[in-house]
Amino acid sequence: MDTASPKHAKAAEAFLRDEENTDWHNETLWFVRSKRDRAAQSLPEWEQLREQASQIKAHTLSKLDDYLIQLEENARQNGIIVHWAANGDEHNQIVLDIMRKHKATKIVKSKSMLTEECHLNPFLIKEGIEVIDTDLGERIVQLRNEPPSHIVLPAIHLKKKHIGDLFHIHLGTEAGATDPQYLTEAARIHLRQKFLLADVAITGVNFAIAETGGFVVCTNEGNADLGAHLAKVHIACMGIEKVIPQAEHLGVFLRLLARSATGQAVTTYSSHFRKPAPGQEMHLVLVDNGRTRQLASPDFRNSLKCIRCGACMNTCPVYRRSGGHSYHTAVAGPIGSILAPNIDMKEYADLPFASTLCGSCTNVCPVKIDIHQQLYKWRQVLGEAGAVESTKKVGMTGMDVLFSHPWLYRFAGRAGRWFMQKFPSLANKPGLNPWAIHRDMPKPPEQSFRDWYAQQNQKTNG
Amino acid sequence: MANPTTRETILAAIGRGKPDLLPLPETIGFPPNISVDNLVDSFMKMVQTNGGQAIRVPSLVEASAFLAEEYDLTLPILSRVPGLDISNFTPQEDLRLLDDLHLIVLQGIVGVAENAAIWLDETAIGIRAMPFITLNLSIVLSEKNLVGNMHEAYRLIDTSTGFGTFIAGPSKTADIEQSLVIGAHGSKTLTVFLLP
Repeated sequence: MDTASPKHAKAAEAFLRDEENTDWHNETLWFVRSKRDRAAQSLPEWEQLREQASQIKAHTLSKLDDYLIQLEENARQNGIIVHWAANGDEHNQIVLDIMRKHKATKIVKSKSMLTEECHLNPFLIKEGIEVIDTDLGERIVQLRNEPPSHIVLPAIHLKKKHIGDLFHIHLGTEAGATDPQYLTEAARIHLRQKFLLADVAITGVNFAIAETGGFVVCTNEGNADLGAHLAKVHIACMGIEKVIPQAEHLGVFLRLLARSATGQAVTTYSSHFRKPAPGQEMHLVLVDNGRTRQLASPDFRNSLKCIRCGACMNTCPVYRRSGGHSYHTAVAGPIGSILAPNIDMKEYADLPFASTLCGSCTNVCPVKIDIHQQLYKWRQVLGEAGAVESTKKVGMTGMDVLFSHPWLYRFAGRAGRWFMQKFPSLANKPGLNPWAIHRDMPKPPEQSFRDWYAQQNQKTNG
Repeated sequence: MANPTTRETILAAIGRGKPDLLPLPETIGFPPNISVDNLVDSFMKMVQTNGGQAIRVPSLVEASAFLAEEYDLTLPILSRVPGLDISNFTPQEDLRLLDDLHLIVLQGIVGVAENAAIWLDETAIGIRAMPFITLNLSIVLSEKNLVGNMHEAYRLIDTSTGFGTFIAGPSKTADIEQSLVIGAHGSKTLTVFLLP
């Protein structure tokens, strides 16, 4: 295997060049994280709720085949047409075939990270189909020809000035306008026309329920409902891990989802689709795309519990300072860095290293995924597969030698202190020492802890 | 032998890869944190937090008077609440015509005090698009149908209908620099009337 290039680090470097924007990005996401904390603290049973959610998901994964069969059977009885897709290509083809069957040319989409993962938009556009993302943030990034940079807040990397300029060009809003109320109203009017004229609506799925054969879609904007109820055909696309056993379990997940995502008590709309409306057609596409491989791996299968709330991104000190695009994958941040290498180990070998392993992601995860531990495990897997960049590998080998020879370690410490005292300017030169990029090296201590301790011992004994 | 279908391949891969059976938790959910006496207050406070308004009225007459005060009742209006007769709009076959809808009044089935989500199913909604396409939404709800949390709500609601939804406020977005804007694609206002 080729060694991976440090894509994340390079992209993050570009993001960090605009210091003001980076600070703003960091603070905004921390603000969302703080709202999440307040929402979590409002429920005394929060920790037990997380535990229940985690156990329901663990149970579901241990019977995933049974629940999918049950979901399929009940959905069919409800009049939903069920499809299975092994990968993104199959998924995209299924959607296109449905479009062709209905001679449909216009699609409105609500937010679905799965369709991002499968690169559905470019595929359909190439086939001559008009694809309109209807979540405001998604529409913004779509007009900019960019992918979303966050799974819940797709345009979080942009400031209102960017959006004002964008809408001026595409929606004819006044030049220089930046009022969010005004810009949102313009988008509402623009998208209302798209909703009214669309042939087909695509939504994601937050939860599918084996017991009822239905599925739940959560939004704040109402775009999923507006699209799905107005179009003749509704296609709902889901990863196979989105199934849960019973409707009663939704009580647990809906209490966790919005609180973890944005700090709201619940999303504005939590819609339960179970049968197509009279005269309409409803499809459910079940997609694997690497999920069965992840399930078969005891180290990583817990990542399939993810309910896509984005809490791990909002809290991640690396995500907040590097921006979602630096992860070059549909799902950015800590959870995405576990999921992506499973899809393409070579392409995404850099991502498990884009973490401080501080564990904050694990602490906020509503379904208790051991995110930072899985990132650490990925590093080992990637190391063994030879996918670690060479500079890192040299450093690691060096440290291995250093830490296994105490005398060498003591000597290196002394040498380091001497060097930093004599030549502080060299130690602080970013070109020579990557640790000095964006920060000054600390003043070296006069003596090592070991020497100090020996001295103390001598004092007390002597 | 014929090639296995995608369905068979996926199910077989799950069968090989899944962990040993893990049990479901013995009990699901938690008792509510809100006492019965506080259901109304908590609910009303949460409606406001969610960007809507909640009004306690002794009867539908007061609700009707409030709506007449607040809205121009000559615009297209539809009430699906028996006894609240302010309708002047008949939905047509063509769903696009619903775009004219200025106000719709619906009968809520269950309200959740912890988050102010109100359950509406197909019998309450009628044409599914209506509560989402209307400019203004009003929901009438009996205080008797308030529960503490979502676990209690799921014990009461019927999840076997064709469509049902929890609505918790007017539609909203914060996608532009995290500034909260009320009125994204769905209704721009939500007025909840609580009846005894």
